[in-house]
This record gives sequence, structure tokens and C-alpha cells, in this order.
Amino acid sequence: MPETATISTIPAEALEALRRIVGESSVLSAHEQVLVYECDGFVIEKNTPDCVVFPETTEHVVAIVKLCNEYKIPFVPRGAGTSLAGGCLPVGGGVMIALTRMRGIHDVNLRDHYAVVGPGTVNVHLTQHLKGTGFHYAPDPSSQGACTIGGNVATNSGGPHTLKYGVTVNHVLGAEVVLPDGEVVQFGGYTEDNPGFDLTGLFVGSEGTFGVCTKVIVRLTRDPVAYRTMLGVFETVEDATQAISGIIGAGIVPAALELMDQGIIEAVEPAFHFGFPLDAGAVLLIEVDGLEVAVDGEAEQIVALCEQNNAREVRKADSPQQRDLLWKCRKKAFGAIGRLSPSYCTQDGVVPRTKLPEILKFITEASARHDIRIVNVFHAGDGNIHPILLFDERDAEQIKRVLLASDEILNRCIELGGSVTGEHGIGVEKINFMNKLFTEADLETMESVRLAFNPTGLCSPQKMLPTAGACGMEHIEKSHPARRAAL
Amino acid sequence: MTTTESSDEFTPATTDEARDFLAENAAGAGRAIFPVGGRTALHYGYASTQPGIAFSTLRLNRTIDYPARDMTITVEAGIRMDELTEILKAEGQRLPIDVPQSSRATLGGVLATNTSGPRRFGFGTLRDYLIGISSIDATGKTFSAGGRVVKNVAGYDLCKLMIGSLGTLAVITQATLKVIPQPEASRILWCAAADWQAVETALENLLTSATRPVALEVLNANAAHEIAAEARLDLPADGPVLCIGFEGATRETEWETETMTAELQTAGIRDVAVVADAEPLWFALTDFATSSDEPLTFQANLRPSRLVEFAELATSAGVSLAAHAGNGIVIGHLPDTVTTLDAAVKILSPLQTLAHEADGNLVIFDCDETWKQTIPVFGQSRQDRALMQRIKQQLDPRDILNPGRVFTKNAVSAAQ
Repeated sequence: MPETATISTIPAEALEALRRIVGESSVLSAHEQVLVYECDGFVIEKNTPDCVVFPETTEHVVAIVKLCNEYKIPFVPRGAGTSLAGGCLPVGGGVMIALTRMRGIHDVNLRDHYAVVGPGTVNVHLTQHLKGTGFHYAPDPSSQGACTIGGNVATNSGGPHTLKYGVTVNHVLGAEVVLPDGEVVQFGGYTEDNPGFDLTGLFVGSEGTFGVCTKVIVRLTRDPVAYRTMLGVFETVEDATQAISGIIGAGIVPAALELMDQGIIEAVEPAFHFGFPLDAGAVLLIEVDGLEVAVDGEAEQIVALCEQNNAREVRKADSPQQRDLLWKCRKKAFGAIGRLSPSYCTQDGVVPRTKLPEILKFITEASARHDIRIVNVFHAGDGNIHPILLFDERDAEQIKRVLLASDEILNRCIELGGSVTGEHGIGVEKINFMNKLFTEADLETMESVRLAFNPTGLCSPQKMLPTAGACGMEHIEKSHPARRAAL
Repeated sequence: MTTTESSDEFTPATTDEARDFLAENAAGAGRAIFPVGGRTALHYGYASTQPGIAFSTLRLNRTIDYPARDMTITVEAGIRMDELTEILKAEGQRLPIDVPQSSRATLGGVLATNTSGPRRFGFGTLRDYLIGISSIDATGKTFSAGGRVVKNVAGYDLCKLMIGSLGTLAVITQATLKVIPQPEASRILWCAAADWQAVETALENLLTSATRPVALEVLNANAAHEIAAEARLDLPADGPVLCIGFEGATRETEWETETMTAELQTAGIRDVAVVADAEPLWFALTDFATSSDEPLTFQANLRPSRLVEFAELATSAGVSLAAHAGNGIVIGHLPDTVTTLDAAVKILSPLQTLAHEADGNLVIFDCDETWKQTIPVFGQSRQDRALMQRIKQQLDPRDILNPGRVFTKNAVSAAQ
């Protein structure tokens, strides 16, 4: 195919109409242009959209969605594409609505504790905007330097501070949404406890299947007065997880409790030179925050609990610079993995916190069984594990083993009473787990709720529910071209 | 409402019995079903549009699983809130939701009505704690959502949909909750302000306070007298009262009450009393929402910055009022002197207008049933109402669960 050729299968007149709506330069349809949008952070499944449009206003989104309805073209919203489960994969092509230009911070109201932002606002930009006000937006996914708040809303993102502050839904007061038929509605609002059903709560985490978010009203949180950030160094992962149980069991809710195992330390240390001991089995990044009068007591208790659980040492970040570097190591850990492997697949299982030792042992065994190196960095306080499977995506045999190991790990999470996703979502990646997590009746109910929002199924088709428009397996086959090829 | 008038009641002992009953009813007679728990909130919403059967969850009250070290608990929906509190207390844990009439109220009812109280400022509401749910819909289909782990984004979050849905979508049978540790200490600081302007100044100053209160209540003098009497405390209440709660480690709450006392003085409030045994006062503040013999009880939600303006207007009309000031939630009781619909409307109309202007709403919790023909129980119509009705239609196609309670067919209703 010539590089400049248009591969769109949508009618030329529809493409023309899209250009009229948003302007010539805001529609991409050439093959090399849309190739960038063939996947998100989940690189195993790929499919190009027919075209990508960049609306700048709610009115643009309405016009695009109405046009898609007119021509019966599927459409899928997309933020920065940092999602990790194929949530914005354009299954079946169609129009991709990229919301990155709707990035305005429209209003900040400290007295009423909210900000109104466009869905394309990069998470960290809001944090930077609020610096010095005494308030912040609490959800801080590790990808916050790139991911958008609209995307966070779609996936109900968490982050290292979820343990104390909760996930995205706990910080969203309302949303303006263009429904799949083009109608604009506002869920929630500037105030709490609006009468009627909590459609804001339902919308957050619906992975783009209920409509296109065009505005988000987020709750702002007071900055903590004081932090104590610590690094517990352990000989073994088991000791580290026992320490976690000890800390939580003592009634302390740290602001963050993150575990990095030896494998990930090997990647992070050469990249950031924090001084992580390369021979340690695991390190725990522990942060408590709150009042100056309270944090020292909690920190002392945590140090004692780590020591009781055989910590080799517990270091305290004694300057803001050291704290920043420690957090940089954690948040950019994924970026450092490039030092270990050309490709990686991050899993996102969850187990009850007390089952962490069990699942980590299972991961080690699965790694050996399938000869796939797996390293771990995760939100231990929530029981949310992120085994990172290292492989070379040019080798189909390795992909096959990665998928098998991933499936085994996630199945084990279910057996231990957990879930297959703590924060990345179902997308297309985990659709075949839905039948294991939920009964047919559960899925039917979810489907019926989706039908209330999205009766034609044109908005983000083939996502999340295996029952969507077909019986389970057909759907899985349709949305998993690469997986089918690998297996 | 009709539920209380009906002698027909079904009280299943197991969820299977509950499911079979609903399925048979849906497949057969299709009579209206009114889910009830502790019957503390039957007055909330419109009266049913048809007679039917009360469906009591009271025998569904078992603890299914309590892995205390994971800080989650799974219980059946008919469990009384006091009982749940005791179970959690034995492990040094709690669900930090203030529930009026907690000896009667059931968890299912509390979820269905989205109940909250003063400590929502510090700890959030039920939507922050419910992580898994099982329900039976109006066709007799049992469905679950969420799970038993604290972090989970698999599938649609039907937990959120069920919270506050007033039993119109499904009967909640089981819930899994995230819980938190009991605090070491709990203290309340009570102070009377000279006037409403002083309250506003204090609230603005609180935005930059060095302390982190878990409750921020504003009471007018009427409510303050009532609450102090209920808690059997002799507290100052000459004008508006600010009531600020702190919880945490003992030295933390001591430091906070001392610091706050100093901060309030700079805001011009001097008459400060620290209530060390806070428990009776927490109860009184919580139970204020359900004072039983008032002619009308409402809840307004508005921007916190408009709260003092609203409180001043309501107070001048004789309303007894307590507000979760940090959240913009106001609970008000109309005075006993209001005995007619006209008198009620005269007081409510300007308050409704102000709530709407402040991007919120005014919802009636309780009043004479006949008044509901005129007063819009759920306030101003919301833009997403049609979508809500489509969801109701999906889960309850024959409209047998609490028919008319939210989506009333009453001719005069701003909620329509």
C-alpha cells in the first residue's frame, strides 16, 4: 500500500463531513498517520482505526458522534493511549475520537473544592496548575506525566496513593458526557448527593462504552502537611509482604505502600542511581502523610514493624529531593524496563492483601514453568500486583508463553478471591476472564445497563463484556487477532 | 406509604427463597414489591402508585465472611447497623458512615438511601466503601458486581448504581465493604459564633487550617439547642454554632483541638468548648436528620460557598438546621407552626430557588403524603433523568419494584 494512500473503509462523504466539522488538519486518515493509533500500552493486540479525529469542543464531539450514527460507523474515544488493556483499541476500525486537544483547565474553585477540566488534560498538568494553592488532585497513576484525566475516568485509574486516597471515582464529582446517540448530559455536578441514580459513579470505569466524556468536575484534596517516606530493604519478598500485613494490621493506613522486587531493582538502579541494594530480595517504598504531630509516631511504628519482619535496614528520605528521587524511581520503573527487555506485558491482578505471599510464589513458579522472566513492582497495600512479563514481541513463541503465564497468574488471582484487574480495566485483553469472574446473569445485567446508554453498540464496540452483540467466544476471536495468531 | 398500609409481607430466610419469590412474582402476578429493611426511611420518596407486597430483608442478616486482616467484610443486607458496628469493633475496625436510628436501620436500607452523616467530610460516603454487591432484580435474576478485593475495576460498577437507588432497581441481598481502623481518639470542638458572617469567616479560614477535621458541622441556634439536649451536654448556643470533629491518635487530636481553638480565635470566635467524650454528640448530630415529629424534613445540596447564605435564609424562616458544611449538605426541619401546605411552600420556595442557583437541589426526606402532590420531592428535574428511566426499564421492565417512588406519575412534580 502506498504510504499516502487512504485505507479508510468509511464512505468518502463521511470523511469529508468529519473534515468540515473539525477542520482539514484535525482528521487523520492516511495509513502512516493512523498507524500510531493501532494500539495503546497493550501492544499484543493491534488494529488501525479508519480515521482519527481531534475535536476541540463538546459541539465537535456531538457532531462527530451524530455523523457516526448517521453512517453507522463505530467510534471509540481515546486519551493519550497509555491504557494497558486495549481499552481504546479500535476493534473493527471506525472513527477514533482523540480527545487530547480538549485539555483546558476551565475552572479551579478552592472554596468549593473542585476543578473543571477537559478530558484531554494531562493528569500531571492539573497537579502542576494547583501547585502552591494548598490543594491537589489526588489520583496519581504512574503514567500521570502522559495519561489524561478523561482516560483516567474511563478506566477508573488508581495509583500509588490509592491505598489512602482512593481511585479516580472517589474524586470525580461530575462529568459532561456525549451519549452514544449524540445527546449531551451532565452526570453529578458541582455539588454532592444529587438526587437520582449515581450515573457519575457508574460512568467512571465504563471504559468508553457509555459515551464520550467532554468535561470532568474533579474534587480537590488538601495537601498533606507532612510526609515521611521510607525505604524498607528485605532479603526476601515474603518478608516484605509480611511487613505489609503487619503495618496494615496495626491500624496504620499509609499513603502509599509499594513493593519492588529484585528484578525491577536491577532495572531501576542503573537508570536512576538511587542507591538501591542490588542484592536485596525486595524493597518497600512506604509513605505516611498527615499532620506533623502524627507522622513521626507512625513512621517509628512502621520502622519497628519492618524490623520485626527481618528488614535488613529501613532508610528514611531525609530531604524533599531524596523523596522526589525515590518516587521518580517508582513511577518511572516501567520506563526503565527497556534495559531488561525489548517488550513487556504488565499484568494487573488483585488478591486479598493477606494472599500476597501466595500469589508472588505462584508468579515465581509460573515464570520458571514458562521460561519467561517476570519482575514485580506493585501497589502492595491494595493487593494489586503488577507482574511484568519480559519478552520479545518479534518472537511468536515467546508471545504464546507470555499469554499462557499471564492467564495462569490471573486465574490464580481469581482462585484466591481476587480480580483480574485493579486499575487497567478489561478492554479487549481480559474479556475472556469476565465469564470466570461473573456469572451469566451478572454479565446480562451489565449488558442491559450498557444497552440503556449504548443501544446500537456503535460506541466502543466489542469491549469489556463477552456478551456484547455475540456469544462469548465469537467476540473474543474478533477482538483478539494477534492472540489468535500467536496461539 | 403503601408498604406500611399493606398487611402483605414476605420475609425470606435465604437468598434462594428471595430469588424464587421474586421470579415467581415476576413470571406470575407481577404485583408491586416494596423492599424494606429497618423501615426507617419509608417516607423518603413518593408514595407507591400501586398496592403490593413488602419484601423484608430482616432475616437475611448473616455475616458471610470477615477476613479482618484484609479489612473487608461481606454481610447480608438485612443486618442492623449497630450489629455490624459491634462485629467490626471487636476487631478494632469500623465502617465510618454515620447512620441515624442505627439500632433499627439495616445495611441494605442504608445503601438504598445513600445515608451519610457528619463524618462524611473526613471519610467520604458509602460509595467509597462498597466494593461488592449481590442483588435480585425485578425479574428474579440474581446478579453481583464488584468483588471482595479493595481495588477492582472488572466490569461495570453496579455498586454505585445501587447506592441511593431507593429499591427501585433491585433488592440488595449482600454487600462487601471496605473497612478502616478504629481511631484511638475522637473529639468534638463546639463553639458559638456571634453571627452568620463570623461562621462564613471561620469556614473560609478552615480551608487553610493546619488541622484536618473529619466533620465540619454548622448548626443554627434551634438545632444546636436540640442537639445539645439530646447529647445531654450543656453547651453554648446563643447563635449559630460550629461543631468541628477530629479523630486519630490521641496526641494528634489533642494538638488539633488546641490548634483549632487558637485558629478560631483569630476568626473572631471565642466561646469554644472541647467535648472529650464525643460519642453522645456524634449520635445526636447524626440522629438530627430523622427527628420524627417535624412537619417536613429536607436535605439540600449546594456549593459549600453558598451554605451560610442558605442557612441564614432558612433560619430567618424558622427552620431548624444542621449542615455538613464542608460538603454543602444541609438538613432542615420546618417549624411545628407549619401545619398547612401553603405555609410549607412559602418557606420552601425561596430555599429551593437558592439551592438551584447554587448548582444543587432540595430534596424532601419526609412530609405529609398529600403535600407530595405539590412539592417536588426530588427537587428540580435533572438532565440525565431520561437515561435513569431507561436503566430502570432495563432492570425492571414491568415496573414492579417500588413503582412510582422515584419516577412518580404524579401530575405536579418538578422531578418529572
